[in-house]
Amino acid sequence: MNVHATTHDELAAEMGDSFDTNAMAQESTLLNPRFYTTDFDEMDRIDVSPVREEWDILIAQMKSDPNKGHFKKTADWDEVDWDGMDPKLKRELVDFLVSSCTAEFSGCVLYKEMKRRGNNKDICELFNYMARDEARHAGFINDALREAGVAVNLGFLTKAKKYTYFRPKFIYYATYISEKIGYARYITIYRHLEQNPEKRFHPIFKWFKEWCNDEFSHGEAFALLMRTDPKLTQSFTNKLWIKFFLTAVFATMYVRDHARPEFHKALGVDIDWYDQEVFRKTGEIAKQVFPMELDIDHPAWMPTLKKIERAFRKMEAAEKQGGVGGKLAKWSAMASAGMGFARLYVMPVKKSTPPASVRLEPAY
Amino acid sequence: MSLFTRKVEQVPCTVEVSHRFEALHAHVRFNDGSTIEPGDEVLVQGPPVLAGWGEVITEDRTAVITRANALERLWTRLTGDFEVMELCEFSFSEEITL
Ligand SMILES: [Fe+2]
Ligand SMILES: [Fe+2]
Repeated sequence: MNVHATTHDELAAEMGDSFDTNAMAQESTLLNPRFYTTDFDEMDRIDVSPVREEWDILIAQMKSDPNKGHFKKTADWDEVDWDGMDPKLKRELVDFLVSSCTAEFSGCVLYKEMKRRGNNKDICELFNYMARDEARHAGFINDALREAGVAVNLGFLTKAKKYTYFRPKFIYYATYISEKIGYARYITIYRHLEQNPEKRFHPIFKWFKEWCNDEFSHGEAFALLMRTDPKLTQSFTNKLWIKFFLTAVFATMYVRDHARPEFHKALGVDIDWYDQEVFRKTGEIAKQVFPMELDIDHPAWMPTLKKIERAFRKMEAAEKQGGVGGKLAKWSAMASAGMGFARLYVMPVKKSTPPASVRLEPAY
Repeated sequence: MSLFTRKVEQVPCTVEVSHRFEALHAHVRFNDGSTIEPGDEVLVQGPPVLAGWGEVITEDRTAVITRANALERLWTRLTGDFEVMELCEFSFSEEITL
């Protein structure tokens, strides 16, 4: 998904009277989600009978909508001093909000599409609730963005969209990990700010606890889905895929988090510490369904992540430089990032056996 | 389906855009039950559907579906998976240096 900045005036001109003047938007951001298809027939064939008991409990919980009242602005939502904020921090905070909103929004689009196309009652019900949650999360972040003077433009619908294709199992692995890592990211920040309330420079962090419980349940649903077919987590090839996804997601997170030094400094969070903490929680949780855990305490783990991060920086610098020299520098940086990734990928994992009962409750 | 040529269909659709505090979403539904297959392209006709703050807009529009030809469909099925990491963009930004 790409976020493109359009000019404020452009949007105001297009929208005329309904333009969000109250938000005093100084800039606007066009949400531009990608659209996906998958093998919907295969998804229709999913039979949740082997996990029926746990499935029904989870769906009943989603149906009861425990967080319905949570996403409201209460007196706890204190005023943010946007004008007094260091411009670099503001930039990174806005980037954090925009990318979070985009992620929630694309989750909503994906889940809604799966609900629409499916014919399997259990699956449709699940995706319906998850789309509801993600739209709510996106709305909440959008409101925080309005306060920051950033308007979100949903005009993408009338632009041409090409639909790409993912195999269902790739959707399970990727979304399972991203829901669980989303939980771990939100709860780690929340717990940190509980200890260091003076570092809470924006009220949205106060909402992270109940919020991450939604993400946790979404992850639970994918864990149950994967349990309906043992091959998904036990076949030799699929184990390689799982290792690939875990490694790729962790490495990407490391690189991206390092793009926001001011944001983390303001929170009083050391990025390396934070990321390791998130990996540890995610890895521990993921043992509910994956038969392995990445060895993030391996002596080569951190140095290799750092190497990949440096390579990405060089890649970007080379791109800006341009010309033949820039190209060569970019290729060399890409090669070193690739080698770093390969190094992480061949690192031995810690094997584990998923427990008989898959369900977990948020425990951090 | 032809190997090389693309078929173009005009399909009635309903777009719904919610720009409210409670929910931010935008969806297209094809009223005749048309489904989208890998590699197809969809263009909703008319001016942008722009919901102001607090608004939900539901509108009937026409969508032009450009069907992928057999080669494109196969290609999308084979290569789409490479983009799967997009699904993991939880609170990530595209740029490395902001
Ligand atoms: Fe969410
Ligand atoms: Fe989620």
